[in-house]
Amino acid sequence: MGLIQREIERIGVPTIGISIVRDYTVKVKPPRTVFLHWPFGHPLGELGNIPQQRVVLAEAFRALCAIDTPGTIFDLPYRWRRERYEDKDLRAMLSPCRRGL
Amino acid sequence: MSWNRVKNQLIAKIITRYPALAKRFVDAYTPWESEGIPWTPFKKPLSECTVAIVTTAGVHHRDQQPFNMIDKAGDPSYRVIDGTRPVSDLMITHDYYDHHDADKDINIVFPFERLREFAAEGIIKGLANRHYGFMGHITGVHIPALINKTGPEVAQLIKREGVDVVLLTPG
Repeated sequence: MGLIQREIERIGVPTIGISIVRDYTVKVKPPRTVFLHWPFGHPLGELGNIPQQRVVLAEAFRALCAIDTPGTIFDLPYRWRRERYEDKDLRAMLSPCRRGL
Repeated sequence: MSWNRVKNQLIAKIITRYPALAKRFVDAYTPWESEGIPWTPFKKPLSECTVAIVTTAGVHHRDQQPFNMIDKAGDPSYRVIDGTRPVSDLMITHDYYDHHDADKDINIVFPFERLREFAAEGIIKGLANRHYGFMGHITGVHIPALINKTGPEVAQLIKREGVDVVLLTPG
């Protein structure tokens, strides 16, 4: 995944990747990544868990807006199946994306 | 279905259920080691951005050619995912992770409906008309094709379509 990400970034389009295998990401070196220690096949979380999927997306966009050093990996703190997502404030999470407005 | 495909699907099921075993498979695979890091500064407000998804989860439309599951080195080709077609038109061909959950809710690997909500809420401007499906697990002889041909080809298409941001998701 990171290899394709690098080609898109190289041509001039900013990218953010979600990784579930940190070791690969470190070697492949994509420009921006959020990492989740979650099982294969579940980068956005559990099936049908809409609040969880929204939080992961918001975290990805936050990283896109906040990362200013190439190759940075944001390690997200969410434990698999042991978190509540319903009351997370997405707007606050996305505050780094409001610059320039 | 060939014995080899059955074996790969069984391994995928086990390593998805028991992440400790997954580590052994991850450690046994030597990923491509890149030099340098391409960089395009992100300057636009997110609410003014059109977003495309590029996934390596093996997502494609039901009427498209499935990814090649016979070649042990994977399949470096891609499928154009038409964002105007219903999500129920999509399916997954990928034997190297367990996609039973993603078959029921594609958003866990291809968060199309979540992004559509973000667009309706004004968090992003909108979704691109086209998205791109690859299959992960590309090794050995097919890595140069991915780096030199299909990767840059998709990058060109995305650039030409005026996409502002690309979100990449694995399987």
